[in-house]
Amino acid sequence: MLVPMTKVCIVGPKRRLDRALEELHRLELVHLKDAKEEPYSVSPLPEDEGRLGRADELRFLIADLEALLDLLPGPNGDRPKADLVPGAVDAGYVLARLDEVSPQVEEIEQRLETLGDEQVVLPRYLEPLENLLPLVPELARLEEHELDLLRLDTVALVLNTDDESVVETLRGELAERIGNRFELVYENIEDGAIGCVLVFSHDDTEAVHELLGKEHVRHAALPEGYEKHSLYGAVATMKERIRELPAEISRTRKELYALLRPHEEEWRPLLAGLRAELEQLEAAALVGGTHRAFVVSCWLPKAELPSLREELEKRVGSEVVVEEMPSDPRDEETPVLMHNPRVARPFEFLVRFLDLPRSGTLDPTGLMALFLPLMFGVMVGDVVYGAVLLAISLWLKRRFAEPGVLRDLASVLLIGSVWSIVFGFVFGEALGNLGYQVLGFDWALWVYRPNALTPLLIFALALGATHVVLGLLLGVWQGFKARHRGEVLEKVGTLLVLAGLFAVAGLVAGFLPGGTLTPAVAALIVGLVVVMGAHGRMGLLMGPLELIGAVGNVLSYLRLAAVGLASAYLAIVANEFAVVAPLWIGVIIAAFFHALNLALAAFSPMIQALRLHYVEFFSKFYAGGGHPFVPFGARAPEPPAVERPLTYETNNP
Amino acid sequence: MEVGLIAIGAAIAVGLCAIATALAQARIGAAAVGAIAEKPELTGRAILLVAIPETLVILGFAVAAMIILILGG
Repeated sequence: MLVPMTKVCIVGPKRRLDRALEELHRLELVHLKDAKEEPYSVSPLPEDEGRLGRADELRFLIADLEALLDLLPGPNGDRPKADLVPGAVDAGYVLARLDEVSPQVEEIEQRLETLGDEQVVLPRYLEPLENLLPLVPELARLEEHELDLLRLDTVALVLNTDDESVVETLRGELAERIGNRFELVYENIEDGAIGCVLVFSHDDTEAVHELLGKEHVRHAALPEGYEKHSLYGAVATMKERIRELPAEISRTRKELYALLRPHEEEWRPLLAGLRAELEQLEAAALVGGTHRAFVVSCWLPKAELPSLREELEKRVGSEVVVEEMPSDPRDEETPVLMHNPRVARPFEFLVRFLDLPRSGTLDPTGLMALFLPLMFGVMVGDVVYGAVLLAISLWLKRRFAEPGVLRDLASVLLIGSVWSIVFGFVFGEALGNLGYQVLGFDWALWVYRPNALTPLLIFALALGATHVVLGLLLGVWQGFKARHRGEVLEKVGTLLVLAGLFAVAGLVAGFLPGGTLTPAVAALIVGLVVVMGAHGRMGLLMGPLELIGAVGNVLSYLRLAAVGLASAYLAIVANEFAVVAPLWIGVIIAAFFHALNLALAAFSPMIQALRLHYVEFFSKFYAGGGHPFVPFGARAPEPPAVERPLTYETNNP
Repeated sequence: MEVGLIAIGAAIAVGLCAIATALAQARIGAAAVGAIAEKPELTGRAILLVAIPETLVILGFAVAAMIILILGG
């Protein structure tokens, strides 16, 4: 059900505003509304430089603290609650702590970044160098100072081409510049790349580099720190370094955690205090005022009004007055808070998944908690599958102890699996027909599905008719409450037509006496006329369409039989496999098919049952578009991660 | 032979409806995923829209069941 809400206006002297906001934040009872949008005449509070400056300062500190705490591993979602008096968190103290720790953190982060870069860059150097080593094995062993003694220089080149004539062109150019005082060897090192090593006299260094620069040939320079080694030495050192890097990165990261961990306990409450104060400062923008008074407009659950009055009087003083304002519960601006019995609460998220119900309309959570697991059970309808799903849902509930979507889903599955076991007994199915074969007799409480198509179809249609008629009755009630005459007429007309159709079907099947034909046809005709009338000028077109839709809605529940039969037949096929092949292969294949069927049984019936609710049931009465009730001061979820723009490096001008 | 023809008739009734549903869902599904990428809060309504053409195949199932039950005796 939806919690009844009331709109209140909190009025007090301006000097008590900060105190009042602080207490409202602590109470977490009210949903703030912009007082300036109210019909009574209030003006915005004058901009307070001190307040604005303090808010900016807090935003800066919060961003810094969040950035530092985000560096620590593990969930950061648990935000301790703190309602500190504005100013109680000493911003100067926080700033001093940040100034003390931030430089050290920045230094470690810089190191981590360098190590990360090295981890990425070194393998890129290593691969071409390893390919070049065999070209000049003797020279590759010489250190730089040994090459200096021989007055020789070497340059390693990688040409991004397969065309060997490019090397010959380069050779020709070199010969033109420095005669025959060089050696150029090359080899295809990979697809689209030729590796070259050029050895030349130290005297020609300038000419060679000038030529390479002119021809836009880039040589593969060794990374800093590796130039003094021979090529062999550089490759060996790089490999060693690549091996060492993960451990060094891990050590550095631990160093960072060791630096931050001791502060975490102190920082989290400080962060919560800063956030609380910022929320209170920002809330002031929603407050209106007169010359001397402030006016806060807000919504709260009606039942909490005495508590709000009492608490504000006790904590802020009798100068601050809470006045209940007249409000229409059907006002679309009224925030919506769902509150259902414990057993139905896990289904609230399934309703919200479609849309939040609008204020003053029906909350279908309770009905969903009744019908959805029942329909799920009708479709699965197998004792063993139900028991396995029950075990899985119990495990999921233990695994996800914290409230959340997964825990709610586990609860929904748990109730569904209990109904599956119940309908397993009703249909006499345990791993399809295996229970029947093992026990040797039909133990179904009603019918065994594969042998009873007609009763199963009638059962599905009956369940569908019940569900749709219930939806229509709720629609009538809702239309009546909202004084929507057209809506009431349309729903009543549809109900009459459905009643007429059911009666005709009953007559055809021989369940009803012949005398019911006249009232059945009368109900059909009257219902059709009423639906047409409800649609006004478009009635001739829309009326029949609406009725076809309603009949289609009932027929749609045949999926309960269809999906259930498909599941039962798949189980039978799995059991057949077990006997046609050698026993051990048969058992494996049967187990595989049963596992597949179970996976489908957990997923498909849930989707189908949801669809029947969203499309067939809710369309009769449900009105979405509600705004959630967000109490001022309640812990809000973490803000979504900000998308970081990608930066590209390009050589294009 | 007659049983075989009845079975083929029922299979065509379900099969053609399934193909039609698949074609409709393919288009709606692609559009729905695009909408969800832009506005994740539309997930519920997107599922609803994708689910609507499923009624076609259920009607096909109903026709197939009638063929089997009425003609198959």
